[in-house]
Amino acid sequence: MNSLKTFLILIALMASTTISTATPEYDFYICAKVNRDYVIGSKVETVNGVFKRGDDGSWNHQGYNDTTLTAVAFDPRDRNVVYTSANNGLWRSLDGGKHWRICNDWDMTEARHVAVDPNAPDHVYLSLPDGIAVSTDRAQTLVRRENGLPERGKYTQRVTIDRTQAGRVFAACEVGVYLTENGAESWRCVLPTKEMVDDIQQSPHNSDHWLVVTQSAGAWSSQDRGLTWKQIEGVPSSHALYNITFDPTDPQRLAIASWGLGVLTSEDGGKTWQDRNAGLPEPHRVWRVGVDPDGRLYASVHKQTLFYSDDFGRTWQPDTLKGSLVNYFLTLPKLAQ
Amino acid sequence: MNSFKSIKSLGRAFVALAAISLTQAQPSYEAPPPSLEVIQDAGERRAAYLARVNEVYDWRFSRIDAGGPPAKLDLAVITMLLERNQRIEECNQRVIEMMETPGTGPFWMFPSAIVALAGQDKLSAEARASIRKAWRTERQLRGDTENHWTMYHTSLYLMSELYPNEPGETWYTGNSSSDNLKEARGWLIDWMDITTTIGQGEYNPTHYIGEYAIPMLMLATYAKDPEMKQRGHMMLDWLFAELANVTLEGVLRGPNSRTDDSSVLQRWNSLSSFFSWILFGNTPPTAGYGGWGNYFAAIALHYQVPEVIYRIATDRPEDILQHDRARTRRMWRYSDEHMPAIYKTQYLRHDYAVGSHQGRVSDAIQSHVWDVTWREDDPRGKHPTMYSLHPHSSGRVMQMQFSAYPEPMPISVSAEGKPSYDAPDKLVGCSPYEKVYQNLDTVIALYDIKPGERFEQVNGFFSKDLVDLTEDKSGWIFARGGDTYLAYRPLADYHWIPHLEYRQLPSDAGYKWARDSTGSKVLASPHVKNGTIVQAASVSEFATFEDFQKAMIALPLEYSLEPVPTVRLTTLRGKEISFTYGEAPIVDGEALDYTEWKLFGGTHLNAEVGGRKLTITHGRLQRVLDFNTLTISDTVTSGK
Repeated sequence: MNSLKTFLILIALMASTTISTATPEYDFYICAKVNRDYVIGSKVETVNGVFKRGDDGSWNHQGYNDTTLTAVAFDPRDRNVVYTSANNGLWRSLDGGKHWRICNDWDMTEARHVAVDPNAPDHVYLSLPDGIAVSTDRAQTLVRRENGLPERGKYTQRVTIDRTQAGRVFAACEVGVYLTENGAESWRCVLPTKEMVDDIQQSPHNSDHWLVVTQSAGAWSSQDRGLTWKQIEGVPSSHALYNITFDPTDPQRLAIASWGLGVLTSEDGGKTWQDRNAGLPEPHRVWRVGVDPDGRLYASVHKQTLFYSDDFGRTWQPDTLKGSLVNYFLTLPKLAQ
Repeated sequence: MNSFKSIKSLGRAFVALAAISLTQAQPSYEAPPPSLEVIQDAGERRAAYLARVNEVYDWRFSRIDAGGPPAKLDLAVITMLLERNQRIEECNQRVIEMMETPGTGPFWMFPSAIVALAGQDKLSAEARASIRKAWRTERQLRGDTENHWTMYHTSLYLMSELYPNEPGETWYTGNSSSDNLKEARGWLIDWMDITTTIGQGEYNPTHYIGEYAIPMLMLATYAKDPEMKQRGHMMLDWLFAELANVTLEGVLRGPNSRTDDSSVLQRWNSLSSFFSWILFGNTPPTAGYGGWGNYFAAIALHYQVPEVIYRIATDRPEDILQHDRARTRRMWRYSDEHMPAIYKTQYLRHDYAVGSHQGRVSDAIQSHVWDVTWREDDPRGKHPTMYSLHPHSSGRVMQMQFSAYPEPMPISVSAEGKPSYDAPDKLVGCSPYEKVYQNLDTVIALYDIKPGERFEQVNGFFSKDLVDLTEDKSGWIFARGGDTYLAYRPLADYHWIPHLEYRQLPSDAGYKWARDSTGSKVLASPHVKNGTIVQAASVSEFATFEDFQKAMIALPLEYSLEPVPTVRLTTLRGKEISFTYGEAPIVDGEALDYTEWKLFGGTHLNAEVGGRKLTITHGRLQRVLDFNTLTISDTVTSGK
């Protein structure tokens, strides 16, 4: 329990402090597909999957070579317990990535996201094209928990867990944002949409503040723990928005990845938005954005590579991981050496 | 990772085999079309089947020395050598070498599993261990389509059965042999259950027949559990009965759940023709004996084609009329059903076949909805088909069936081996704005394309192999294909554009294509309210071509396009049809009720929805595949 508290305190500290660039106090991970032309049946030519950024900025591959990883999550008590969501479903390692096990049966496939409840670390949530599965035993077993989700319309792109309350989880689904407050025993819709909800994020600065981006209904904000939502003016609904991120160093800074709009940023808490595509290759098809705890903004550009910006999108440089398409960014407190 | 991508792998295999085929004789591929005489004697049929199997073996064996063994041995020829107990030491070396760089996913799993199974008592301990190690160290992907899962789970099942009682750390899954077995068995039985109750999602595929037939033959040949062995055998019969029933002289006819730009026109040039050749001997095999077909041939002696299926394919004293059901690919989202029903009509006569499906979008990329195809004495290189379609391109519809984002997918599909997907002149695909009704050899296709859709037009295909093409002032377009008269009525203005096929160019970075004129042409009709009527008839039914034209022009026909397309006509067969876009067709005053359709209902195949039982008949012969009891029952009715 002490380690859990330490973890949460570190997260909070990271969220409110600009950390020196000399020695990062955190570990920064991505899930990336580097083997651009890989298709089912062809040989895997390059390394793909989870990469951890080294102190020198290089990316070090972790675990299995898998072109299909959509997310990675760790047990906050034990970094050796790793989960990845992927084509086959949910993979788990108990030894820091040396050995892996498929945790789901044949009836779960093409997992979209995985998350571990920081307040109930045995509980693992898996989002699927046809619903949500939950484990209460570190993925030893997985069961579907979809009570309250619509019979049709439960394609779930992402699950995001409220760090303030065990079992309080949001699901980004085909027909809206769904919330459970009892560990997925039941779900209710808190934001209906006509098409996909692509991402939902909790602010690292204010746990009551949540953001959502969608395929065709723009971006939405909630200031009351995700119970009520207001559309963010200034973010167009004309293009699909793939993900949204807070800057952990500055509560006013937000970034959105969009197909067509590229990178959008706000530096006033979402009141106004700027196009930050100058220096990125055209067309502006940005797959994901992420911000590390030093405030470096990353943009993964479709069919191009990963770029980063140290001035929040005003200028861009290509990252060292050439040709990568990043599905997921994750920051964790740095492990003790 | 999407289903269309497996076509890419398949294509590579074909290209590779076609390239090397130039140097080695492939007698049946190069010879005139085979005799269509029905072989009456069971022993002779078996001998002819085995002779075809041997032909594939001989061709592959002839390549070994020409290619320089053992480097050129692939897993298919290794399986053949193991079956024949030949050159085992070379097989050992090559297996060990190949297992140093294993592949990922079902297209590697099933070949490596076949070798492991065929070589279980023949390969050296070191070679067997190399395969076993690869199944531990290399993460294997399930893929994302029905055929991927069939190959994946069959391979995992058989490998886990071959290596029982081994712990999780010895498998890439991290699960024990018994857990792998349970997972794979669960999927396979669920797939068989769905297929035998509401139908296949990938029904009547031009290429993917191999991805089902090979795993089922593996199951029938190698499964130790007698239930799974029996299930494999029964599913093989099920698949081949369907294949036989929708081929005309060995060539698969439309509709097709999945096909491609080439096979939809040159109907013969698909893996299904290899299967017709090896099973029924009634059409030439494709180049390289079908690529993946080599794996079937390698273990084909373990299967015997039932006489009743053989006769459905080859012995056609009467027309075939089937009204069957299948299902769409899984609808992940934007659909009120997970696997909506597809309603297929197939009408096959001596000279031609007419086929169609009605219902939802069967497959977002590769479906072929309807056509009239005719018999050619030699089908190779011919485009014996006529049909129309709306060239639909939509990320949202793809999103229904793939766990992907809608925006990149049309681009990716086009860039990764499906160049026509986002082209206005494409000739393969399914549209939500097309409604089709078929009555015998009449097809009415109506289009109400939503304004603003990417391509607001209808494309009709007119083959280079048609003769006497006539654009009559009545509005009908008449032509003859083989011994078939064809009448095509576009319901809106049109113009002609050349048909340009795609030719793959050498490239180090992704696919590159050139487009070449084939001599066929496309009727392009740039109107969102649109329609096509096609009527076919045998040349033998009319004294002259002019008589056919007069008969068609004389038929009562009314149509309008606003507010939605609607047609009232009397067919050449005397049926009065009224068909309005979005409504049930009315035939001789009665509205059609698709919900009454059986899983199979027709001349040779019959099954109830939910029944798990297929009755296959031809003349006095009958075979019943009953998955409720896992029994195969053959009966012969009395000739008296």
